[in-house]
Amino acid sequence: MPVIASHLHAWRRNPNPWLGPATLALLAGCNPAQSVLHPAGEDAAEIARLFWVMAVGAVVIWAVVFGAAVFAIVSRRKPTTERGADLVVLFGGVVFPTVTLGALLAYGLTLLPDWGPGEPPDLRVHVEAEQYWWRVRIEGPDGAMIETANEVVLPAGAEVDFHLTSPDVIHSFWIPPLGGKMDTIPGRENVLRLRPTTPGLYRGICAEFCGASHAFMAFEARVVPPEDFTAYLAAQAEPASGDASAFVAAGCGGCHTVRGVVELGATGPDLTHFASRATIAGILDNTSEILREWIAHPVAFKPDARMPSYDMLTDDQMDAILAFLGGLK
Amino acid sequence: MSKAAPHKRRRVETGTDLCQVIAAPIVWSLHFLACYVWAAIHCEKAGRMADLDPARTGIFVLTGIALALIGFNTLRLWRIRARSLTDDDFDYDHDTPEERHRFLGHVALMLSVLSGVGVIYVAIPAVLVGTCR
Repeated sequence: MPVIASHLHAWRRNPNPWLGPATLALLAGCNPAQSVLHPAGEDAAEIARLFWVMAVGAVVIWAVVFGAAVFAIVSRRKPTTERGADLVVLFGGVVFPTVTLGALLAYGLTLLPDWGPGEPPDLRVHVEAEQYWWRVRIEGPDGAMIETANEVVLPAGAEVDFHLTSPDVIHSFWIPPLGGKMDTIPGRENVLRLRPTTPGLYRGICAEFCGASHAFMAFEARVVPPEDFTAYLAAQAEPASGDASAFVAAGCGGCHTVRGVVELGATGPDLTHFASRATIAGILDNTSEILREWIAHPVAFKPDARMPSYDMLTDDQMDAILAFLGGLK
Repeated sequence: MSKAAPHKRRRVETGTDLCQVIAAPIVWSLHFLACYVWAAIHCEKAGRMADLDPARTGIFVLTGIALALIGFNTLRLWRIRARSLTDDDFDYDHDTPEERHRFLGHVALMLSVLSGVGVIYVAIPAVLVGTCR
C-alpha cells in the first residue's frame, strides 16, 4: 500500500531519502533506532556483548573446523595413530564442546536479572498493549497516573520498571536499543526493568504476533536528560483546553479522552497532549495532512484497527477536528 | 576384528544388555526431575525472593550421587569395551551376537558419558543462581 510506504515514520529517519522503498525496507534492519547492536541502555549493552562474544567464538570455531577439514583433504601425511585419532575425537568431540557450552551457560546465567522488590525503581511505567497500540501510564512522583499513548519518554540513567499487561491477546514489549523484550499477557502483570543510558529517539515494537496490524504496532521511545523528563512529566500532567465541539459532535470523545475537555470513554488512545507526540498511532509522522488521511481511513494504515473510518466528515468538520487536535500541545 | 586385547576381559557374546544401555540416561532423567521438583517445591513454599541454599544443597548431593552412579557404569563399560573410539570395533556387518554386544557396549558407553555431561549441566544453574527469582 503506497500510502503507507510514503508516510511510515521509521523510514523518515533514514539518512538517504533517494533510496527506493524496497531498499529502505531492507535497510530497516540497520536502523540504529531499532537495533539491539546499537545499545543505549545497560541491558541492551549486555545483550550486544553476549552477541559479539558468541559471534566471534562461532567464527573462530568454524574456522578451526573447516581448517581441519581442509587440512585432512589436502595434506599428504600418513594416517595418524589410533591413539591420536582417539584423542582428537575425545577432545574435539567431547571435552571441547562440553566445556565451551558449559562456559556459555554460566555466562548466560550471570545475565539473569537479580533485583528484588526490596530495590524500588526510580520510575514506574504501566503499559497496556492493545490491538494495535500502546496505552502508557506514567506513575508520577506523587503516585498519580499520567496517561499517554504510543509514546514512552524516559529519563536517562534512571532505573525504570515497566508493568506490562494486555486486555486482549498476548503481545510483547520490546525497545531493542534499551534491552530485552517481555510478553504482555492478559490477566497477568509482568515487570521488566530497564536502565536507559543514552538520550535519543528509539523505536519500540510489538515482538509477538498479535493480528493483522502486528507489524504496525510500534511506538516511539524517547530517552531524555532527567531535567527534561521532569518538565515533560509536568507538561503531560496538565489538562488540555480547546474548542472540542466538532470533536465531540463527530463522536470522537466516545473513545478518546482529552483530559479537561472530553472524558467520556477511554477505549482508544488518550489524546490529551496529542500534538506534543511525534507520531500518529506510533507509525505515522504527526502532521495535519497525514492525520486527515488517518481519521478518514485508519484501516488503510492499520488493517483491522478498531477505529472506524470517518470519511463521511465534511471538510469543515474535519478542519475543526484537526485544529482542535493540533492545539493539544 | 583380530585384536585380542579389547576382548580379554569378557567372554565373547556377552558383556552388555539393554538395561545397561539405558541405566545412565535413567539416572540423568531422575536427577533432572528430582532437582527441578525440589527447587520448585522449595521456591513455592519459601517465596519468590527466598534464598535457594536449602535446595542447592540437595541438588549438589543428588548430583554427587548421580555422577557416582554414572561414573561406576562408565567404568564398567570402559573395562568391558575396548579402549578405542575409532578402531575396527565399529565393524558391525555380520549380524552376530558378538557384534551386537560390542555395538550395545559402544552405545551404552556414549550414552553414559552424555548423561554425565547432562547431569553436570543440570547442576550448573544451582551453582550460579542464588535465589528463587
